[in-house]
Amino acid sequence: MTFIYNGTFDGFLSLVHEVYYKKLYPHAILRHMPKTLLLDEIHLCVYDEANCAKVLEALQKNFTKENFQTLLNIFMCDTVAFEMELLEFVVLGFKEQRNLQNINNPAIFKILNIQKEFFRNVHKMSGFLRFEELEDGTLYAKVESKYNLVYSLGHHFSKRFNNQNYIIHDVQRELVFLHSQEFVGIREVHAFHMPTLSQDEQKFKKLWRSFFESVAIQSRKNTKLQQQLVPLIYRTYMNEFYE
Amino acid sequence: MKKDIFTKMQILSDSAKYDVSCSSSGSESNYKTGELGATQSSGICHTFTTDGRCVSLLKVLLTNFCLYDCAYCINRVSNDIPRAAFSPKELADITMNFYKRNYIEGLFLSSGIIESENHTTELMLRTLRILRFEYKFNGYIHVKLIPGADKELIGEVVKLASRVSSNIELPSDASLKLLAPNKTKEKVLQPLKYARDISLERSTQPIAMSTQLIVGATPESDFDILKLSSVLYDKALLKRVYYSAYIPVNDAKNLPAILTAPPLLREHRLYQADWLLRFYGFSYDEIVSDARPNLDEELDPKTFWALGNLHLFPIEINKASKEELIRIPGVGIRGAHKIIQARRFKSLRFADLSALKVSMKRAKYFITCNGEFQKEIPLYEERIKKAILLPPKKEIFHMPNLFDVSGITGEL
Repeated sequence: MTFIYNGTFDGFLSLVHEVYYKKLYPHAILRHMPKTLLLDEIHLCVYDEANCAKVLEALQKNFTKENFQTLLNIFMCDTVAFEMELLEFVVLGFKEQRNLQNINNPAIFKILNIQKEFFRNVHKMSGFLRFEELEDGTLYAKVESKYNLVYSLGHHFSKRFNNQNYIIHDVQRELVFLHSQEFVGIREVHAFHMPTLSQDEQKFKKLWRSFFESVAIQSRKNTKLQQQLVPLIYRTYMNEFYE
Repeated sequence: MKKDIFTKMQILSDSAKYDVSCSSSGSESNYKTGELGATQSSGICHTFTTDGRCVSLLKVLLTNFCLYDCAYCINRVSNDIPRAAFSPKELADITMNFYKRNYIEGLFLSSGIIESENHTTELMLRTLRILRFEYKFNGYIHVKLIPGADKELIGEVVKLASRVSSNIELPSDASLKLLAPNKTKEKVLQPLKYARDISLERSTQPIAMSTQLIVGATPESDFDILKLSSVLYDKALLKRVYYSAYIPVNDAKNLPAILTAPPLLREHRLYQADWLLRFYGFSYDEIVSDARPNLDEELDPKTFWALGNLHLFPIEINKASKEELIRIPGVGIRGAHKIIQARRFKSLRFADLSALKVSMKRAKYFITCNGEFQKEIPLYEERIKKAILLPPKKEIFHMPNLFDVSGITGEL
């Protein structure tokens, strides 16, 4: 049986409810109705607020804080298919929390590895994100990434930029993290006009580029290594790589 | 002639680039509400240069004017190079603006000696005060202490910086005398000792310190170098020693010729050995000895050690302690943790280790899994060494097939 759900965390919780209360177990879980013919029974999991709340409560009661956080982190990895493994993770976790440390189980090993990659992405992006100063002093950064990093990045910068106003904008996912006196949190953004930059912006970009170029040692040049360390996907908004 | 800020940046970062240290790790997060900046214990790289080095800090000299004439240094007084200086205010402004744009984790401040050691330290202190007090900057600041400055001034610096360092540069007093006539080992180590004492008066944790050694400019062996590092770590004087393959920048009769390639592989092996000292519980005389004073170029230090101590192997994966596991070539700290976590649930076999993505390339010759072991290569030093250096080639012979896609044209 193939399950189809709406791709959100809440939708997944409803799916877990169906697994337990209708005693169904899927062979595959999809986020959209497939365009091609499936020779399998299709079960549509409809989001249901009451069921979702029930499962959420059970998860919070039975899962350790750390394991529950893993579930949330996995849902930030929206470009990989993790549903079957995550379902097994949830089922094993409900049986006994200790099961979730058994990395001999391929599903658990995979979930933990996806999470590890997510953390690695957050860590890299927290270094490679570039802010630009706007006219009013607000800092504005665009991000393009494999996973949804906006929330984690917002959290990271809320410590170091706690006296600044800043915006982190995920262009593809149409999400922003706002940090200002009035509001801190995530908003969806569908239309956006690029605001004017501050007068100093060009000066500091140029200074940064001149620093970046002169700090490299020519006799040790190794651009292959450089590309391993800063893969091209991170470079989209890093101004030192563009004129 | 007055230089514009772009030229200054170019000159002063160019002059600082041979300092290897650029890490911002090891400082606990300590943000304060209403202030700018925080440090992160893992350290963060903000970009990587074309030579593949992490850029974490704005690494510049306050000035590259210098009274000293050290033979290996590009900024020595007898070199005819463009000179420049930042004003403390100028540098603090750049740091703040770079930090706000997330270009850097903080500042790495070093300087040539201008007028006197104390005057130079005063100038650096002025920069620190502007950053910390006027701009309320709470990020990472690494300061290169000036050998020969007064204890009180060093105390002030230690109070404001996240990490301090002083470069020993050369592993022995004799080499220093030869190449850096204005410095002695005593003088170079003095600021580190001051800094340790001052910070210990204030708290139980001494301020984190590091140093740098130039490798390949003078005839010291790896044994001398690792012994020195190990002593410095043991005395809790230093948290980190950096090794820098000597890149000839000056022509001098006591130095390798300017066309000599930097000994990058040796530098790499020294770092590997350094990791064994700091994280793997090795002592320097296990890795190198009087009989074999230099590290092997072909094999990494741990494999080299293991081949010399085959009586300790093979190690049984399911029973060994963590200390034993991390001594297996190819198994690192992470690998050992994975093994320990997994073996609580079942007795591990070779296939399980591969499924856990523990690297077996070298490890397989040194382990048994529940009594099971690899049978191709017997446990002899020469045989294993040969197998590791020349792994058996995979069979790539394959029969052409009617339905093969042509690798060149993509056609059937």
